[in-house]
Order: sequence, then structure tokens, then C-alpha cells
Amino acid sequence: MAHKVCLIRGDGVGPELVAGVEVIFKAAKVDIDWIDVEAGLKCVEAGKPIVPEETVAKIKEIGVGLKAPMTTPIGKGSVSPNVTLRKKLNLYACVRPVRSLPGVVTPFTNLDIVIFRENTEDLYTQIEYMATETVAHSVKIISEQASEQICRAAFEYARANGRKKVVGVHKANIMKIGDGLFLRTFKRVAAEYPDIESWDNIVDNQCMQLVTKWNIYDMLVMPNLYGDIVSDLAAGMMGGLGVAPGANYGKNCALFEAVHGSAPKYTGMNKVNPTALLLSATLMLDHLGEHEARVNIEGALEATLGKGIKTYDLGGTATTSGFSEAVASELK
Amino acid sequence: MMTLHGVDVYLRTPEIPDIPKTYGAFTLQMISNRGSRVYPPPTPEMELSDWQQCRYLSDAEVTDAQIDELVGHLSSLGWQWTKCQKLFKIDGDNAFSQPY
Repeated sequence: MAHKVCLIRGDGVGPELVAGVEVIFKAAKVDIDWIDVEAGLKCVEAGKPIVPEETVAKIKEIGVGLKAPMTTPIGKGSVSPNVTLRKKLNLYACVRPVRSLPGVVTPFTNLDIVIFRENTEDLYTQIEYMATETVAHSVKIISEQASEQICRAAFEYARANGRKKVVGVHKANIMKIGDGLFLRTFKRVAAEYPDIESWDNIVDNQCMQLVTKWNIYDMLVMPNLYGDIVSDLAAGMMGGLGVAPGANYGKNCALFEAVHGSAPKYTGMNKVNPTALLLSATLMLDHLGEHEARVNIEGALEATLGKGIKTYDLGGTATTSGFSEAVASELK
Repeated sequence: MMTLHGVDVYLRTPEIPDIPKTYGAFTLQMISNRGSRVYPPPTPEMELSDWQQCRYLSDAEVTDAQIDELVGHLSSLGWQWTKCQKLFKIDGDNAFSQPY
């Protein structure tokens, strides 16, 4: 029976990337019943909310979604469709795996790290005030329950996926109350997983160590803002946002996404790398229990990259559709 | 010019509080929990913290005394507030963020 999956085709280059994934999934004979749902700039231009309630309801009902990049309109009062989806679907865990890919040359050989980013609070609550005409006040919220939820999710993932080490990342030397609560919670949860090695690092030191000693790291877990920054740093180490996948998990649903932007200047140019969305889609296959399909597709992707077929961001000349066809041909 | 139009009263309670929808010049515009709007509905499926941000606003400019009276009224109803933040407009524009 086909798996039902909600599909947000996105803005800018999003629809082109989705088309590439569809070609590859078809070649892999993965039986997905894609259910198109609306969100993003097109909704705003049609006078609707950037994420309509029907979209939220449908993803809740189906439980799984794949999302291509969307554009956040610039201007007063505009909200990010990505943050809106995370909040409305209570997708508390953002998971960003980074690993070396064949043919994608970086200084960071044998990279293989999974980053867990808390997704619902911290400065992303976006509670802000002008306290006076010259002083702004942004509220950072760290709660014990959200900290416990993300730390426990990370340790459970480690156990389920054969990972050996989890590092808690924070800035509790400065934010002794907020990050101190996160750190205490991390240590309490870690104590329940004696089979997983754990320690903590201050976020600035963690960034330095990521680019100097990346091979000692296995998994990282951290609050929202650090997770945003560190996961993009790690994506760069992997080869750039064009190849870095992302997944967002809640209790009742999961949303898989390429974490790069919608690249409006490349819209219609058949140019952008579909790898990030494809690897996000293979994470989705794992979530759906289609492990063999995931292995097959990722093998085809690696074979394609290994042959030197690459899009412009990796120094190649392949188009979005050409690259997708090349991956698909490895599956036939 | 900075003008006073309301207050965010942060209540310590694990549930979405059933508080007055209006009081004097103020209207309860929304309640949010960790930045997500939980009132008016629809309420997202989320773990609620025990810290509810309750926003009372007035279109007209208000005084400190009106805010003191509102907060005192909430206390008299048995609600425990832990933080209050005045809400200003600067040159007519809201000088505070909106929740998701």
C-alpha cells in the first residue's frame, strides 16, 4: 500500500527540486501517494496566511510531510513559514545529519555527525519589546520540559542508530540560569543512558572543535539558536547547504526539509542541487520504514557524485533535472 | 514618541488561564505559551509550560495607574503573576512582537 505523504512544493526553485525527487523516487519504485498542500509566498500573494490552517490540519492528519524551500516575505509583520510549521505542528526536534559524500571534496574527511536542535523555544519564541525608545529586549525562554524532550530524543536516537557519544552544547558559563537549566537537564537525562558516552561543551569551543577535531564527534544536542548556527556550520563542512538534509520530528508527525532557501534568483534556471531535498526525502523513507529504498537511493546518489556528475554549487555543470536523471539511471 | 497601550502579564499556571476578556480600557488580545498563541483558538498541540503570556491592549493610550489596576484585579482573582512588561507604541507603531 502506498505511503501517504503531504508535499509542499515550495517557492522559488522548490518545485524544480521536488520534480527531481519525484523522478528518483519513481525510478526507485517507492510507492508514495503525494498529497499536495499549500504554504509559502504563493499563499501570501493569494491573501491567505503563509501557512493556511488546512495545511496544518492535513499534515497532522497524514502525519508525514516533505517540504521544499519556501520564501519568507520581507517586511513588517511577516512570519517565517518554516518556524510557523514547527510551532503549529509541535515539531520539537530538528535533526540535521552531516556526513562526507563521495566526490564532494571538503577538508573534513570521514565526517559523520548528527545534530539535534531544540525547535520550539529559546530566542525563537520571538518575544521582543522596545523597553525604551533606544533599548530592545528579546526574551530567551528555556524550559525544563523542552530541554528534557530534546535531550531524551537525542539519546534515544543514539541507542536506536548505534551512535556511541552525545555531547550537550550550551553557553552556561555566561547564561547561568537559562543555559544552566538546559545543561542540568542534559546531565540528568544523560545519566539514564550509561551505555552512551556523554559530555558537554560550551558552544564557542564546540564550533572551534568541530572544524579541528570533527572525527571525535558523533552526536550533538543543543538549544534552538545554537542549533541553528552549528547545524549550518556543519552543513558547510559537509559541502554546503545544497547537500545537507533536515528532519523535524514531533510526537505525532514529522516534516522533512531541505534547509536551504528558495533561491529565487535561480527560479526556472534548472540549476540548483536537488541533493539536500533528496537526502531529506530518504530520511523520510527511513521514518516510513522503507529502509531498503533509502539505502538504494543514497547508493545511487553516491554513485552519481562519485562519477563526478555535480551541480554548479559543487563545481559541476549538471542541471537539476540532469542530475536527478543521472541518479535515477543508477536505480534502473 | 513612545506611548503606553497595554501590558503583557506573565501568569504562573500550567493551564490556559480563564481570565477576563476585557477590563476597563483593555481587551485580552491573546495568550501565548513560549511564543505560540494558545488563545484565541486554534491552540497548537504543544507541551504547555507553566508560564502564560497574557496580552492586554487598548487602542487608546493608557496610564500606569490603569495598568496597576488591571494587574491588581488579576491578583485579586487569585492569579499569580511573575513578570509584567508594558507595551508601547513608538510613533504609532507597535513596539512589541506578535506571537506565532
